[in-house]
Amino acid sequence: MSRTSGTAPAANATQKGDTPSIRPRDLLSKEDCLEIFRQLYLARYFDVRLIKEKRLGHLTGTLYSSHNQEGVLVGSLYGLKPNDWISPIHRDMPAFFLKDIKFDWRRADRMGLSIEEVCAQVWGRVGSPGRARDNWSHIGSRSKRIIHSTSMLAGTIPVAAGVVYADRLDGGDAVCVTFNGEGSTAQGIFHEAINYAAVHKLPVVTVVENNQWAYGTPAELECPTTDVADRARGFGIPGLVADGQDVFDVYDKVMTAINYARSGRGPSIVECKTFRAYGHGDHDDDRANKYRPKEDVEKGRARDPIAICRATLLALGHIDAAHAETFRAEGKNASEAKNDDFPPEVVTFLNEGIEFALQSSLPPADEGAKWVFREAK
Amino acid sequence: MSLVVEHAAPVKKNYVTALKEALFEEMERNPNLICQGEDIGILGGAFGVTEGLQARYGASRVVDMPISEACIVGSAVGLALGGKTVMAEMQFIDFISCGFDQIVNMMATYHYRTAGEVNMPVVVRGPAGAYGGGALYHSQMNEAWFCNSPGLRVVCPSTPYDAKGLLKGALRDGNPCIFFEIKELYRKREIAEFLPEEDYAIPLGKAIVRREGSDLTFVTYGQNVYHCLQAAVELEKLGVNAEVIDIRTLVPLDEDTIFTSIAKTNHLIAVNEAPMTCGFAGEIVARVSEKAFEYLDAPPMRITRLDTPVPWAKPLELHVLPSVEKLVNAALKSVKF
Ligand SMILES: Cc1ncc(C[n+]2csc(CCOP(=O)(O)OP(=O)(O)O)c2C)c(N)n1
Ligand SMILES: [Mg+2]
Repeated sequence: MSRTSGTAPAANATQKGDTPSIRPRDLLSKEDCLEIFRQLYLARYFDVRLIKEKRLGHLTGTLYSSHNQEGVLVGSLYGLKPNDWISPIHRDMPAFFLKDIKFDWRRADRMGLSIEEVCAQVWGRVGSPGRARDNWSHIGSRSKRIIHSTSMLAGTIPVAAGVVYADRLDGGDAVCVTFNGEGSTAQGIFHEAINYAAVHKLPVVTVVENNQWAYGTPAELECPTTDVADRARGFGIPGLVADGQDVFDVYDKVMTAINYARSGRGPSIVECKTFRAYGHGDHDDDRANKYRPKEDVEKGRARDPIAICRATLLALGHIDAAHAETFRAEGKNASEAKNDDFPPEVVTFLNEGIEFALQSSLPPADEGAKWVFREAK
Repeated sequence: MSLVVEHAAPVKKNYVTALKEALFEEMERNPNLICQGEDIGILGGAFGVTEGLQARYGASRVVDMPISEACIVGSAVGLALGGKTVMAEMQFIDFISCGFDQIVNMMATYHYRTAGEVNMPVVVRGPAGAYGGGALYHSQMNEAWFCNSPGLRVVCPSTPYDAKGLLKGALRDGNPCIFFEIKELYRKREIAEFLPEEDYAIPLGKAIVRREGSDLTFVTYGQNVYHCLQAAVELEKLGVNAEVIDIRTLVPLDEDTIFTSIAKTNHLIAVNEAPMTCGFAGEIVARVSEKAFEYLDAPPMRITRLDTPVPWAKPLELHVLPSVEKLVNAALKSVKF
């Protein structure tokens, strides 16, 4: 990272004689911090807008909201190098366009999907990289280094391990950050894959988005330890816990894991504590109101990642009080949030994506029988 | 929870209610029955099949399992070894692949390799089938994998009456069973029907003739039963009188009902929603060709999904799946042979 003006020099001035401890965030510039803030709005607006579009009847299929979990996505992705791999799953839809999006969201050589591609996928149009053959987050890109997931939970972790193994064989230094819910840690393949990665010291960072619920099952019925990160001990690898509501804490922990992985020391697990804002999918909103106590939901949503980031930026002096008041998206459900609650460039960006999706047609029927096998040359 | 005690005038029940009734009644009847699966307790199941079950029978008999299909099935085998009967839910039948080894190697073979010492009263059930835009991993009909694994019953009901009766039949059968429910039928109003007040179970291995005809026989199961019935209506207008057989159970297969029909109509179209290659329609064609060849006036045909996954976008999905139109065209070709 070239911009290294430092955000909190005072924090580094420890007692004489100690090695000053520098957190990854301390190397972020003011511009970086403001960009991270902007990206939180972008992720939130994407979610809010999709829910609105669905309610207007413009979308089919289930929406898995990442509302209240944006800090995990932005904080995990911000420090990646363009050549790094990621594997997002159902709750990580914004990750596809957040990858390598720093500052200039329209840069032509970005190593992430464009907002147009992502919107075409959500709308089920042929402009999607997967040509609408599979739904929602089941897309990816080999050239942009995004693993294409299936529905089967934790199923991308062995793939992540394999793809970075290949990269190592080719002399690369890529890391893969995989995203998983805490529920998916109950799958055998979660453990089998991390075991393999640990044996071979493969650079796989498994981010566990612990949002306390796996569909209608609370975390304690999925995992017997309070911290999912404790699973790391059995593999002899680091297990870190981050405050998923604080994008900078996520950044610190994931960057620590990424640096560790890139230096050849192997995989790690970074558990981000967060809370699912709505039902499992939008089909589950009503039932979720019954199976989740209201107080728990209020508590889980009280620490909005946008508000926490704003407070940090204020404390650092990166924004002033007047600026801080400009946009107020936090705490608002999709039905309450308005375009004015978001920076205008965020709204414009998404409008352009949706515009493209709407111009894109449905795939032609006979593509249904195509690409089962590679065609002979 | 009012499910078991209903005093009001009888109402028509949909497919999901029929399944629910079967579970409540079997839980009541068999104190050794355990239900387990993802989100089946607190939530009541992704599709509500187990709604109210945990509240009534407690969390030790209706168990919310960690997301591990291998463990849901494998521990069911252990429970059965310990003398219990188990209903193991797959949230979608597509995820059964994550429990495949425990099913085909551990469970299916248990009775065989113990020379009959241990039986496995385990029903692995879950929502299956396409046509709803569920895409690759929420649309599968993977029944053929299990038909090719000796030791497993394979069942697929198409009506509320059958859903209830066959689920009870499967839970009482004593053999491990993979039970394919058709999620597109779960809440379909048009097929809701009155169910008997009294207890009933349908023994596995009995097909049913859904429509009588003289010119051609569709042999199918699951959602395609309705496509075949619709095709029969279209064909009637064209002067072709089609019979529709719903086999209901794939393993064991009721050959007699099929052969009796072929002896009458002399034309066979076997239909399944899964891909063609090694699909169950192929098995039906093979059995008829081997054992009822003399009755055939035309080559038996198969209408199935193309040999592709189930894609998402509507035009793609329709292109690869069996349809009424494809059935009508095949039927006309067969009778004109
Ligand atoms: C192997 C497998 N089994 C079941 C499912 C169905 N399913 C989809 S999401 C989900 C809950 C996932 O919970 P968690 O991992 O905590 O992720 P979250 O949705 O909370 O982000 C379940 C059970 C699945 N997709 N894959
Ligand atoms: Mg979760």
